[in-house]
Amino acid sequence: MGSSVCGSGAPSTTCVRMIPKFASEVRRVLANFGIGTLVLFGLFVVPWIETDKFILHVLSLIAIASIAAMGLQVLLGYSGQLSIGQGAFYGIGAYASAILTVNVGVPFPIALLLAGTAAALASLLMVPITRLTGAYLAVATLGFSILIYLVLKNEEWLTGGSFGFIGIPRPTLFGFVLRHPMHSYYLCAGVAALAYFLLARIDGTRFGRAINAIRQDADAAAASGINVTFYKSQCFVIAAFAAGIAGSLYAHEVRYLAPNDFSFWKSIEILIMVIVGGMGSLPGAVLGASLVVGVPELLRELGDYRMPAFGAILIATMLFGEGGLAALCRGIARGFGAVLGRIVPSWQPRKMLP
Amino acid sequence: MSDAGSDALLEASGVTRLFGGVRAVDDVDFKLRRGTVHGLIGPNGAGKTTLLNVIAGALALSGGALRFCGHDMARRSSAERARMGVRRTFQNVKLFADMTAVDNVAVGLHASTRCGFFGAVLRTPRCSREEHSIRERCIEALRFVGLDGRAQTRAGALPYGHRRLLEIARAVVAMPLVILLDEPAAGLNEIEARHISQLISSIRDAGMSVVLVEHHMDVVMQVCDEVTVLNHGRRLASGTPAQIRGNPEVIEAYLGRPADTPDARA
Repeated sequence: MGSSVCGSGAPSTTCVRMIPKFASEVRRVLANFGIGTLVLFGLFVVPWIETDKFILHVLSLIAIASIAAMGLQVLLGYSGQLSIGQGAFYGIGAYASAILTVNVGVPFPIALLLAGTAAALASLLMVPITRLTGAYLAVATLGFSILIYLVLKNEEWLTGGSFGFIGIPRPTLFGFVLRHPMHSYYLCAGVAALAYFLLARIDGTRFGRAINAIRQDADAAAASGINVTFYKSQCFVIAAFAAGIAGSLYAHEVRYLAPNDFSFWKSIEILIMVIVGGMGSLPGAVLGASLVVGVPELLRELGDYRMPAFGAILIATMLFGEGGLAALCRGIARGFGAVLGRIVPSWQPRKMLP
Repeated sequence: MSDAGSDALLEASGVTRLFGGVRAVDDVDFKLRRGTVHGLIGPNGAGKTTLLNVIAGALALSGGALRFCGHDMARRSSAERARMGVRRTFQNVKLFADMTAVDNVAVGLHASTRCGFFGAVLRTPRCSREEHSIRERCIEALRFVGLDGRAQTRAGALPYGHRRLLEIARAVVAMPLVILLDEPAAGLNEIEARHISQLISSIRDAGMSVVLVEHHMDVVMQVCDEVTVLNHGRRLASGTPAQIRGNPEVIEAYLGRPADTPDARA
């Protein structure tokens, strides 16, 4: 509102008077986004402190997984729809991007957006099943995930079938090839940060209230004039778009796609990220993605015991309660906060807590 | 337009709702006149809430016709009916428990506002302005029901009586033409019930028409302009509160025939 006053040919004194207002606005934004700025700065300096290529690669994978998990957070944590089909949209995004860049010669940034769009369009197939809820919806989306896996595996002419899809180019931005792991890390982390920034804005808006209302009581939401199917479908599209973007980044990060990477297990993984991270919490989705992608890498030395150990960690995390890692971090932050003042007021998984 | 001559805002004729073989609402005629409070009473299981759910669109009609402002309502979803101006509350209060009181009310303004996902994510000036006016109207609605001091309280943390009021605020905030109140005074004490009576009168004074399902006879007799009595799904009588009070059939339905075992009055 303020900026339109300045821009619409108002006398310059109006603009002068607005300077202190603007300054206080900046201060307010800094206060609100202090944590965000810190995290962004942290993300920015990481590759200078930690130059190991493999670790940067893992961090990129975490960023990619975070994007898919944040999408599912909107679908599951906000609108309350349990989908075990996000792996399908991830796969569609990955293969769409690979096919577009390799077979059609589309430049990477456009392929990235088209991959998200392809996944979003595919998610429109979900519209008829949005009237399902809970376990029924979960099984239906799982079925979709299995179907897409079979398509990726069997349509050899398009996807390379079980031989996999090879020769995917490195991402390029405006003619600049992101050859170094540090560059692709910046790409993935940048897209993840952008996704976070955008999705975090849903809260406290008409759209955010509508999907939260649907999760908490669909009857009461409908009685307030909310078109429940329309909003549920929108959440499917948003989640699928995010998964598609993530898939595209993944394709250009690993540069080789095998259908087994997109089996229903991938859907389960994305679901675990959201639940372990804390339902309804966007930072939780990022924490969950870090756990699900990062911990198995940390546990590599355990050899055969790696996955059982990972399973045990998952169980242990859930013992902390429904709020997941987000609530755990909030608890820790609160503990520190008692000493250091209020540190992380915005890290609250408001939704699912009793 | 088409209902010139009659001032019926909402008109149900021959409305029937079956649950399997049970006729929960059986061939009921019902007319809500503009600017009135119409009470719907009857013993437990008489079909009051079923009729209300049929009007609100939560249950489909099994037979009969339902018109609102001359429009056929029978095939419209409950969300569509809400958007057209028929709002409701629920017998077992249905709030969005994890949202603040003011956000609950804001959901009631959904239909009369427009910002969607992109507006939310991009925070366009139009949407900021809209959000601002939503806040103002919500606070006004909270003040109307007497909850303006609890705007930032989580709905689930409010005491029971306040939750009932909050649900009414969510329904009135959009200034609908018709409000369906399903036992708004259930479980409230005398003082709270009196507050509800006053509230219903002010809702009518604000230009909305009310269908009131209620067991508290004090409330019904105080605020209703017209009362319809249901029994076993059928309409037993309708008229002014005074007429209903003196109607022997109504008394019998509530208290039973002298030789019968008396039906417990709720």
